[in-house]
Amino acid sequence: MSKIKKPELLAPAGTLEKLKIAIHYGADAVYIGGNQYGLRSRAGNFTFDEMREGVAFARRYQAKVYVAANMVTHEGDEEGAGEFFRTLQEIGIDAVIVSDPALIEICVTEAPGLPMHLSTQASAANYETLNFWHEEGLERVVLAREVSMREIKEMRRKTNVEIEAFIHGAMCISYSGRCVLSNHMSLRDANRGGCSQSCRWKYDLFEMPQPGERKSILAGDPAEDFSMSAVDLSMIRHIPELIESGVDSLKIEGRMKSIYYVSTVCNVYRQAIDAYCNDPDGYQFKQEWEDELWKVAQRELSTGFYYGIPTENDQIFGKPRKIPAYAFIGQVLAYDEHTRIATVQQRNHFEVGDEVEIYGPGFTHVRQTIEQLWDEEGNPIERAPNPLMIVKMKVSAPVKPWDMLRKATL
Amino acid sequence: MIELRATAESVEQAKELITLGVDTVYVGEDEYGLRLPASLSLEEIKEITEFAHRQQKKVCVVVNAIFHNDRIETVVPYLKSLEEIGADSITVGDPGVIRLMARHEIRIPYVYDAHTIVTNARQVNFWAKRGAIGAVLARELTFGEIKAIQSQVTVPVEVQVYGATCIHHSKRPLVGNYLNFTKQERNPERELYISERKASDAHYSIYEDAHGTHIFAADDLNLMPYLGDLSEAGVAWWKLDGIFTGGDCFVSIARLFAEARQAIQEGRWTTERMESLNRQLITLHPKERSLSEGFFLKNAADVQ
Repeated sequence: MSKIKKPELLAPAGTLEKLKIAIHYGADAVYIGGNQYGLRSRAGNFTFDEMREGVAFARRYQAKVYVAANMVTHEGDEEGAGEFFRTLQEIGIDAVIVSDPALIEICVTEAPGLPMHLSTQASAANYETLNFWHEEGLERVVLAREVSMREIKEMRRKTNVEIEAFIHGAMCISYSGRCVLSNHMSLRDANRGGCSQSCRWKYDLFEMPQPGERKSILAGDPAEDFSMSAVDLSMIRHIPELIESGVDSLKIEGRMKSIYYVSTVCNVYRQAIDAYCNDPDGYQFKQEWEDELWKVAQRELSTGFYYGIPTENDQIFGKPRKIPAYAFIGQVLAYDEHTRIATVQQRNHFEVGDEVEIYGPGFTHVRQTIEQLWDEEGNPIERAPNPLMIVKMKVSAPVKPWDMLRKATL
Repeated sequence: MIELRATAESVEQAKELITLGVDTVYVGEDEYGLRLPASLSLEEIKEITEFAHRQQKKVCVVVNAIFHNDRIETVVPYLKSLEEIGADSITVGDPGVIRLMARHEIRIPYVYDAHTIVTNARQVNFWAKRGAIGAVLARELTFGEIKAIQSQVTVPVEVQVYGATCIHHSKRPLVGNYLNFTKQERNPERELYISERKASDAHYSIYEDAHGTHIFAADDLNLMPYLGDLSEAGVAWWKLDGIFTGGDCFVSIARLFAEARQAIQEGRWTTERMESLNRQLITLHPKERSLSEGFFLKNAADVQ
């Protein structure tokens, strides 16, 4: 059995809570945003104090923390970036994710030694480009989402730079960085965190036989609107090939996503990566991993560009396929093994009689019907209707703090 | 000195453009250049280059694709041919090409042209330090931003003063996928447009080629009314893009810009002259396409 280099599982962390959850659920590294220079102006972003706490937490689990500073600056946006990078370095951030040469130059000169990763925003899609950025001092390149598995393997052979590739989540329909639909259609700068997701809107598609005359070519009954919306990426069925291709970091998209989403997706990929690395010959894909991902899926899933140019099946047309709907209903705060009672923080309405699933790090699952519920004072209750209320419930098998509760909603 | 730079769709058109005063013509092959009015062969590029050089004018070959592994290999002999032909410069949007040229000792000066992502003087100067002789600014910049950039750059920057501008490049065949989904076939020659279902006044050109799908801004750019400002700001390179303005129309429009440039350089630029040239431009511009100044007059703070 050959020795396999285990790739890093890299998860998004929009908040300190998500950072902790992601690491608990198996992420080897997380990426976060600061208050400036990032591309997710609406994602929960970290203050320096929160970063310090996040880094301290990550260290306890030998996990890494990267900060996305991947905006494409206009004049003046770069002000203060030197101090920003120096502060990140002092805090102990493991790397910054950048794409703008202005910010790269500032980082190199003002915070020498702070590792830099090239953001997917730069759409690096060939090995010469990887080598270019490696020679510029970047230690890792996040690949363009348009590259195929075959291309990645060739890049691995022809470069020594670390390669990071997206394996799960939503995708830009364009080459990242090369779309300003949002700037033109809603005066929001796509490359500075303002993207209004114009690609997911509905459009007419037409010819113009005469100036001003529109001959729509929308077809179907009812007529299908033209849209550029892509389904989401999932590489859960191809983890061995990704590992064998030498990708150093497997990235999950979604700093805006919930702790429920992040915990579920990290949990699944942790299982698949460990299963393959621990025993490549005995590895078997498990359908339950994919089923688990479907529980938090917001769109259909595909393999993006890994195995060819995406077709109409990789875009959102027609009636969306019914995606199994589950709701995140609570998080376990404590468990008393003598009484077999769990203390749970409510995240969505649930009540006695509900069929629930409690899952936790290590891909543990407990399925049960809620039989007894108490409020914080120990008074029996029938339902938990209030957001974030603390309840106690009898559980059929041991659970742990950080475990999550979900229930089917259809 | 203001330099007029214009795309050319054929040998004939390139010659006309050069003759009327265009300083640099943009030509290229679809394989390596994005959104060209026409794909020209090496023979055609050679003929244009020879003609241009006889007139003390220049040729810039468009090599601004986002390269994948396959084309980054085949582009080497192409670049060597361009060097032999004596092309004055190329445009590059993928840093891999810069490294490739150094590795293969191909010495063609390059202009950095990465479509949407050149928005700051420091970026321009970054590429200048790595050999770029100029850079193409994103079309999403305001005049205030252009001025601020111009005042800090170490090499010339190019501002597009006329023509269509791309606002979206996807590697996916977005139109083809739609046609497949709705089981349609159509004549690929016919031009297609999209419009938002909600705000449907504006329409955007869309087409596909081997590089994927390209969508263009609703309005083609026309900075004729602001050439005086651009000149005063010191912007040296004015670009005219003829991808959706074919043949003689484009040549005539280029002539208007050549006239404007001459008037500005000779201190004869008046509101009257500008308005006259602008009226002629509007008459020549394709009727199905609207014109505007794009982001030029916006306040930087209006774009969030």
